[in-house]
Amino acid sequence: MTMLSRVAERLYWMARYLERAEDTARLTHAYTHMVLDIPKGSEPGWDTLVRIQDAEYVYGDRYRVFNEQNVLKFIVADLDNAGGIYHAIRAARENVRTTRDVLPGEAWEYVNELYLYAQEYAEKSIGRRNRYRFLEQIIGRCQSVSGMLMTTLPRDHAYRFVRLGYLIERADMTTRIIDVGAAALLGEDRHHSTVDPLIWASLLKSLSAMGAYRREFGPQVEASSMVDFVLRDANLPRSVKYCLNGMREELLPLKNNKSALKLLDRSRRKLSRFDPGVSSREELHLFIDVFQAGLIDISAEIGSTWFLK
Amino acid sequence: MNKSWKSYRSEPFFDELITPARKPRAVARQVINMLQNLSKEEMHTRRSAAELAIKEMGVSFTVYSEGANIDRAWPFDIIPRVISSRDWAKVSLGLIQRSRALNRFIDDIYNKQSILADGIVPADIVLDSSNFKPQCMGVSPRYGAWAHICGSDLVRSKGGKFYVLEDNLRVPSGVSYMLENREITKRVLPELFENHSILPVDDYPSRLHSTLASLSLQGKKHPSIVVLSPGIFNSAYFEHAYLAQSMGAELVEGGDLFVSDDNCVYMRTVDGPVLVDVVYRRIDDDFLDPEEFREDSKLGVPGMMRAWKAGKVAIANAPGSGVADDKVVYAFVPDIIRYYLKEKPILASVKTYLCMLDKDRDYVLDNLDKLVVKPANESGGYGLMVGPHASKADRAKFAKLIEENPRNYIAQPTLALSTAPTYIDDAVEPRHLDLRPFILQGKETWVTPGGLTRVALVKGSLVVNSSQGGGSKDTWIVEPNK
Repeated sequence: MTMLSRVAERLYWMARYLERAEDTARLTHAYTHMVLDIPKGSEPGWDTLVRIQDAEYVYGDRYRVFNEQNVLKFIVADLDNAGGIYHAIRAARENVRTTRDVLPGEAWEYVNELYLYAQEYAEKSIGRRNRYRFLEQIIGRCQSVSGMLMTTLPRDHAYRFVRLGYLIERADMTTRIIDVGAAALLGEDRHHSTVDPLIWASLLKSLSAMGAYRREFGPQVEASSMVDFVLRDANLPRSVKYCLNGMREELLPLKNNKSALKLLDRSRRKLSRFDPGVSSREELHLFIDVFQAGLIDISAEIGSTWFLK
Repeated sequence: MNKSWKSYRSEPFFDELITPARKPRAVARQVINMLQNLSKEEMHTRRSAAELAIKEMGVSFTVYSEGANIDRAWPFDIIPRVISSRDWAKVSLGLIQRSRALNRFIDDIYNKQSILADGIVPADIVLDSSNFKPQCMGVSPRYGAWAHICGSDLVRSKGGKFYVLEDNLRVPSGVSYMLENREITKRVLPELFENHSILPVDDYPSRLHSTLASLSLQGKKHPSIVVLSPGIFNSAYFEHAYLAQSMGAELVEGGDLFVSDDNCVYMRTVDGPVLVDVVYRRIDDDFLDPEEFREDSKLGVPGMMRAWKAGKVAIANAPGSGVADDKVVYAFVPDIIRYYLKEKPILASVKTYLCMLDKDRDYVLDNLDKLVVKPANESGGYGLMVGPHASKADRAKFAKLIEENPRNYIAQPTLALSTAPTYIDDAVEPRHLDLRPFILQGKETWVTPGGLTRVALVKGSLVVNSSQGGGSKDTWIVEPNK
């Protein structure tokens, strides 16, 4: 089975963008919910959503203040924001458009419909009234695409690069979701025993992991066990560990995989050495920064090994 | 019954489905009877079903433009065009004959040039043409086949007689519409398929695949075949993707291929370089190889010509094939057939005046109001003048163009093009048609049963191009009932 480097690259990015759209929608959904739950005065600022995308610079070019309206416009509808939902969906569609010949016929149909939906509703869904519905639609539609791909793609190279794209993006986004918690709680004044669990619980919900957590640790959400769970639980499909293990499975059958595997294993070791139970929030934040840089290195290595130069 | 069938009149033109006495022709009797029995509402329903089918297939077939619109080049008319298999058999033989002769001609031009030496075709016409590529001199592709995929444009005129209007030998497109149109008709008028024996068209991709595979120079059983596309922004991109997918070939762009020091063509894959045996290219000669043609081409592959000349890769259509795809050369095709095959041409050509010849030019300039004037090597219906419909200013403009550059213009009498019933708004009305069958030439020669019918949707219009208000119809080659 021949897999063109160009096609592999587009499949990888298609998957990354689809995962990015879904996870950003999940996070925005959870964040909005959280803000509503937390007593006035104690709620974290909207700037957090921009900050965890490392997009303050782009944001600053376009908007002056970090208010809900601006931030949501930036996250949901702004085409200049590479981490934005509409932008990610459009980029995913561009990648599918040119790889339709290796994907199941429905792939283009689904992704195109997703795009047409976002095109029509993104701008109208910035306000709270329509926001939930829009974000839920995005999450659901992204999941139909990934579900369809995962249940129809033959397990060959096309599948491998799609899965690599999904997993690396998801690992990255999961660390960012944890970082929201860390960032929201970093401010010394904000530390608040009744607010803390609300924040961690809403982040768990954004990962669809609330039920799994409860079965493991009981109903009360506690920071270090929550962080440990989503970073290092091997069975939770949105945990960072699960994603890295999955990437390893997909890298193994590829030729010339040595350097990529080496970098991946380095990240896996770092992850297993980090103990959220004994780390401060600053240390957690720092760990996440370094870990994300490691993912960037892995992605660059995948690119230089298998994609068009 | 829809009233418009009763008032249907195509005179003075030959109608392919309805006789002047307003009776269905024998070959179309069942189709017409069935359609005539449909109420106005029912016709509406069928048309909506076709639109829906196009939309659904469009999602998977077609490239969407930035908006939500389907970028489908041709609107579809639900009334099929029906041709009897007896008539078609002769056309098919004529097309095969033509394709054989044109391939012999191209092979001769790039080798011995005996047809020029013998004075059958004036040498300057061929050698001064921008379609003649000196880079191809001395190459002998397998089976002497150069134009492996040919799309010839046919029209019918008085009495239903077929004429060849032009031969597209470079990168003819449209075959995917032929296949798509059949799919739509099957969904929309399924009952017609029960009573008819309609020759199937859907084996085109497998025929194309065998033709391309037969070109492999190493004689491999499973050669590696790629479809080389200019990419997503080309208007025929979806056809490239469709053909690649239905043949199980790789769809590649220039950047996916490279030519190594061993003069072989490779594609860049995640497993490293993979040898390519056959390139079905859908980009023009000029962009194929920046080493030999346009240096600024980003679409092509540097060294492609080197690999081809070294016999390491087969290219379809072969570079330089366009030399026979020139409206001036067209005028000589009957002579070309007689010269190489010692046969009488089976299919008629249209009388063609060459503006480069003094006598012809004088006649053309005196009769601009009766003639169609065409540039010698443009396609797409641009830069064409239909004399009887042209304004005085247009005629003056073309007179000037002809005098400035006579080699670049030819003129032909306006043919009385045939019509077929076409569903326009709420009525059935006659509209003019043409037909593009596709001829495959490799180890064997094969002609599509039928082809792509294009129909001029504008009343009285003779121009069928999609960019000029054209639509398309499903084309049936029907076996007579036993």
